[in-house]
Amino acid sequence: METPRSVTRRRPVRVPAILAALALAVAACGGGTPATSQTASGTPAASATAAASQGSGEPVEIEWFVGLGTGENEEQIPVEEAVVAAFNESQDGIELILTVVDNTEASDTLATRIAAGDAPDIIGPIGIRGLQSFGDQLLDLSPYIGSVDLSEIDQALIDVYKVDGKQIGIPMAVYPSFFYYNKTLFDEAELAYPPHEVGEQYEGKDWTWDTVRELAKQLTVDGAGNDATSADFNADDIVQYGLDAQFTENDARAWATIFGGSGSAVADDGTTAQWPDNWREGLQYMYDGIWTDQFIPNQTAVQALADGNTFQSGRIAMDVVHQWYTCCVYPGEGEPQVTDWDIAVLPEGPDGKITSKLHADTIGIMDTTENPEQAFEALSFLTRSPELIQIWGAMPAIESQRADFFAGLDDRFAPLEIDWNVSTQMLAYPDNPSHEAFMPNFPEADSANKDLGSKIWTTPDLDLDAEIDAHVELLQGIFDSN
Amino acid sequence: MSLSSGTVGQIPAVAPPRTRRGGTPHGRRESLTGLLFVAPFIVGFIIFSALPMGASLLLSLTDFDPRAPDEIRFIGLANYAEMASDPVLRESLWVTVRFGLIAVPLTLGFALAVAILVNSKLLVGRNVFRTLFYMPIQIPIVASTLVWIGVLHATTGWLNLGLDAVGIDGPNWLQSPTWVGPALALMGLWGIGNMMLIFLAGLQSVPTELYDAAKVDGAGSLASFRHVTLPMISPVLFYNLIIALIGAFQYFTQAYVVSNGRGDPDRATLFFNLHLYREAFGFFNMGYASALAWLLFAIVLGLTIVLFRTAGSWVFSGGER
Repeated sequence: METPRSVTRRRPVRVPAILAALALAVAACGGGTPATSQTASGTPAASATAAASQGSGEPVEIEWFVGLGTGENEEQIPVEEAVVAAFNESQDGIELILTVVDNTEASDTLATRIAAGDAPDIIGPIGIRGLQSFGDQLLDLSPYIGSVDLSEIDQALIDVYKVDGKQIGIPMAVYPSFFYYNKTLFDEAELAYPPHEVGEQYEGKDWTWDTVRELAKQLTVDGAGNDATSADFNADDIVQYGLDAQFTENDARAWATIFGGSGSAVADDGTTAQWPDNWREGLQYMYDGIWTDQFIPNQTAVQALADGNTFQSGRIAMDVVHQWYTCCVYPGEGEPQVTDWDIAVLPEGPDGKITSKLHADTIGIMDTTENPEQAFEALSFLTRSPELIQIWGAMPAIESQRADFFAGLDDRFAPLEIDWNVSTQMLAYPDNPSHEAFMPNFPEADSANKDLGSKIWTTPDLDLDAEIDAHVELLQGIFDSN
Repeated sequence: MSLSSGTVGQIPAVAPPRTRRGGTPHGRRESLTGLLFVAPFIVGFIIFSALPMGASLLLSLTDFDPRAPDEIRFIGLANYAEMASDPVLRESLWVTVRFGLIAVPLTLGFALAVAILVNSKLLVGRNVFRTLFYMPIQIPIVASTLVWIGVLHATTGWLNLGLDAVGIDGPNWLQSPTWVGPALALMGLWGIGNMMLIFLAGLQSVPTELYDAAKVDGAGSLASFRHVTLPMISPVLFYNLIIALIGAFQYFTQAYVVSNGRGDPDRATLFFNLHLYREAFGFFNMGYASALAWLLFAIVLGLTIVLFRTAGSWVFSGGER
């Protein structure tokens, strides 16, 4: 039986027990949430000391979220960190914090943070595709950019960032696409380099995708040294491919545009699904290139080539990629496999036109920011930083800045002399409408397009026309469910 | 009267003192102390499980889009009705069921076989092998999946290189809609550590007298396994079956890593949970995704109930079915 004394004796034991229980509860509930607004999936890169409160005299924290477009490659992050550090050192009122999220997770992460009321202040670089998901979450910059001179920027580019009457971004960078080609592989095959001028022929032939096919087959080589035009060519032992269009993420719209020209999955009425004939031809070209002529690597082969960065592997002769790929021709560490390369113009497509699939980037401010003026100040600094333009491979939207941009690239790639005139020429042939343009129920429709791309990339013996017909039907269902 | 019912019959005689103790100051203090010690779990459960579950039930009745949380609308059971016309849901269910039909028996059989192996007195260095078979489960799933992606690569993977060495043309494990399911099941054998340990504990709890008696009756190894081991470890087998079944329906991480979160190739890895994830975080249909989560809960609950109902016919407990 308990005595008052024994109860009294036990009291000191209960106090630690209560404290221990509370401590455990706090530990269980706390989850180690960091003091800053950085997310677990992001890479906190700028400052570990950014826990300063926003009280009087303390700097205002502005978070810059990178990952929706370019900017998340390992080669780019140190430069972004340096720019952020330079901004923080340049003034005392704002603490800029960099959060880098893997591109494949960036949309999910941002959406989740918006829902949780924890949105970052600045997002970008963000491309046309990203705008389809987050454009209406961005702040109207009109009150802040009144003094900014936009006269040197193509009005069409400015309009890209006008959503529902709001100017949500200043065109910052444009990325035309063209061929990167490995000169060493051309030299080994004793083949002439592809044209650098629009309208130029290749060895007496018009520069078309048919000509590219023949050239690419000669540059596709098996382990025994036979090329894809040879009867002895062993398709099970390909060690070098003639052509690729890397980093398109299975996007059937992108592939159709590269090989077929401009088009849209949405008819003019804005609600009817379609797949234009030139896009059918474009996809058929690519499909045959993968599975019949085998001068384009399928997904399995791509994974084996520098983990998807196929041109960097040194085993791709020609690769259709954007200007931003200058970031990643060479690996972050180790000896490059590609030592002598240049760029060439794209050929004429089945629609009789040259089409250079265009990417364009801006940096925007979330409309939930509590400090729009400070965010705009940071944004202005970022958009004026030449280091970022360089590392993102971003051709400035402002024409007068391009000479410096290309001079910077020349310094970087010396002693190679890359013909940047190709890039400037290709800017005159953008895809219109964009391959990343609006579709009803965008995320789901975009995913369906990638499903089709995945099927093309991984499955031989398809009736592609039937697949595309079924795809249009699927898209229509997705559009209708919007 | 069975032993258990006799025990139940004695409870009223014991119960009054317990009731009386609970009413004393000491009893109340003891209860309070106990509650305080379980408080971390209770608080954690409420915050991290019960509240999110309740929230997801509410969200399943809305069209919640995380990009525009202020525009949320109550839409009743529309999300549940939409499931009937969602072809991707049917596909994902079929992918999950097909995977479960391969992976569950394979994993259970392999884990049991390994447990028997490391329980054998004939095995030299049993503890070393037990550790080795358990160790892979300590490796993060994403890391081990990335390793397996390399091992299963069609042209450069060790598995196909090994098969090639003996004249077999290995399949394109991860890019073929036909083979990617078996490949994932194969990958799952890497993580049998926990299941093996539970089987091992079950095997070690079988009284040796039963084997001796079986031997006296003329039973060989197989007959002993069939008539002694299996019945005696059937509760453990039942537990592992339930866990494996739930695991199959919750399969996500490996499929996400292998397919970059897209269900490639040709939706052959679009498991139910991956479909749910894509709806929630890819397409931002958080309301519909919440409804899918409750469908998953209902399916797993239903299967578990069915298994429990059938357990009486094959699970032995305390010497009885």
